[in-house]
Amino acid sequence: MIAWAGRKTVEGVAYIADVLYLTYLAFKELVSPAQRGRGAAFRVITRQVLFTGVDALPVVGAIALLVGLIIILQAGTTLPKVGAGALLANIIVLTVVRELGPLLTAFIVVWRSGTAICTELGNMRVGQEIAALEAMGISLIRFIVTPRLVGAIVATICLTIYFDLVAIVGGFLLAKVHLTIPTAVYLDEIGKSLSIADILITVIKSGLFGLTIAMICCHHGLSVVAAATEVPQQTTKAMLNTVTVCLVLDLVVSASFFL
Amino acid sequence: MRPETVLELAHVSASKGDRVRVEDLSLTVQRGEAVALVGSNASGKSLALKLGAGLEIPALGTVRVLGVDPAQASADEVLRLRQRLGFVFDKHALISNMTVFNNVALPLRYHLTPPEEEVQDRVMARLAECGVEDFRDQFPVDLTLGDARLAAIARARVMDPDILFIDELLIGLDADDLGRVRGLVEGPWREQGLTVVITLNAPTTLFRFFDRLVLLRDGRLVAALPPAEAARVKDPMVPDFFAS
Repeated sequence: MIAWAGRKTVEGVAYIADVLYLTYLAFKELVSPAQRGRGAAFRVITRQVLFTGVDALPVVGAIALLVGLIIILQAGTTLPKVGAGALLANIIVLTVVRELGPLLTAFIVVWRSGTAICTELGNMRVGQEIAALEAMGISLIRFIVTPRLVGAIVATICLTIYFDLVAIVGGFLLAKVHLTIPTAVYLDEIGKSLSIADILITVIKSGLFGLTIAMICCHHGLSVVAAATEVPQQTTKAMLNTVTVCLVLDLVVSASFFL
Repeated sequence: MRPETVLELAHVSASKGDRVRVEDLSLTVQRGEAVALVGSNASGKSLALKLGAGLEIPALGTVRVLGVDPAQASADEVLRLRQRLGFVFDKHALISNMTVFNNVALPLRYHLTPPEEEVQDRVMARLAECGVEDFRDQFPVDLTLGDARLAAIARARVMDPDILFIDELLIGLDADDLGRVRGLVEGPWREQGLTVVITLNAPTTLFRFFDRLVLLRDGRLVAALPPAEAARVKDPMVPDFFAS
């Protein structure tokens, strides 16, 4: 039992060290003055932003609308009964902007783009495409990892802001069927409840989540050695680890701002 | 003109997995030579090819390719070396979400960033040389294995390498593709003085277009000699391999 725990601890530390080292290399590449391959990498970034961000707008919009509707309906009908109707805007800012917006967007990006990154890189390894890139002297960090890192961060931040807006505004417009609060009053209250810290939190969290998704999924995709059967195994591990790390980071950021 | 050694393996030993190994292999290749490493599966020829191209590092012995020892070289030296070598894997290894044109253009755009007109000219020239210019806008999944491997050869050639390595040349090639490869070996590669090192796991009529066959068995060098003399080598692999 002790041996098992020790082995797992060592494996865990080695895993974290590997992911952190990959992250360090990817950021180092960002600030590197070398021009070689910048154009090719930029094309990959554009593709990643399009796939992770633009293509995900409908699904993120639909989920944001439903989540916004549920929260506003629940809060809008329950709070007035206990004499706390004035807190509606605060509750929405608290739940959507600070917590659910970044987290749910990150989960959508993990399920959609994280799996895609991991399986794509795993299949590239199996098909010798990664080996071919190395043989051509093409840096995996510059051509594969950094563009996905930048693309995932940019797309996750933009999607989270989009999620927040759709959940707050769209959810309210749908809920208006049942609620009697005037739209102008609602939006004014939201504006008053929303602080710079709230906006900062949503951006910091979504940026960190984008980074986590890109790096963990790249790490697992590139960890495939040769067999096609490794691809789904690595993808499953990547999903579980990414969601876990995102939740831990969420807690850390929330605690550092509000405790 | 004095021959120039572009590739030298000296007492090289390495292994990959349980079955594949190279033991105490020594071999030199001169500039402009066409050399075929010949042997059955798991005879170590692909590993020897990757050792020669600096894609694997030997456990023992030294490799010098274009004067560089990849095991001792700095990252920048290895990067420069990679641009002077073309390598074709046994799978075509084309990037699956890029068209054939963009695959072949990739090393040019990455390393040299020339004007797009030059990219267009150089890529189309290499695609035409390999007879796959009609597939320029297709994705690898739409190609036959033979055409995909010829496109991979075009990609390996686009940087005008000093040495072209091809692993398992025959995989996926039909009679027509073989004719095109024969045309390449006899024609432009020979005329341009390109050094070619390939591996073959079966007898082929292409043997006679190579300057030397390097026979390998169980990771060991059996003989390195002109094709016409290969069948006379006294070794257990020869009757099996050259029976047909």
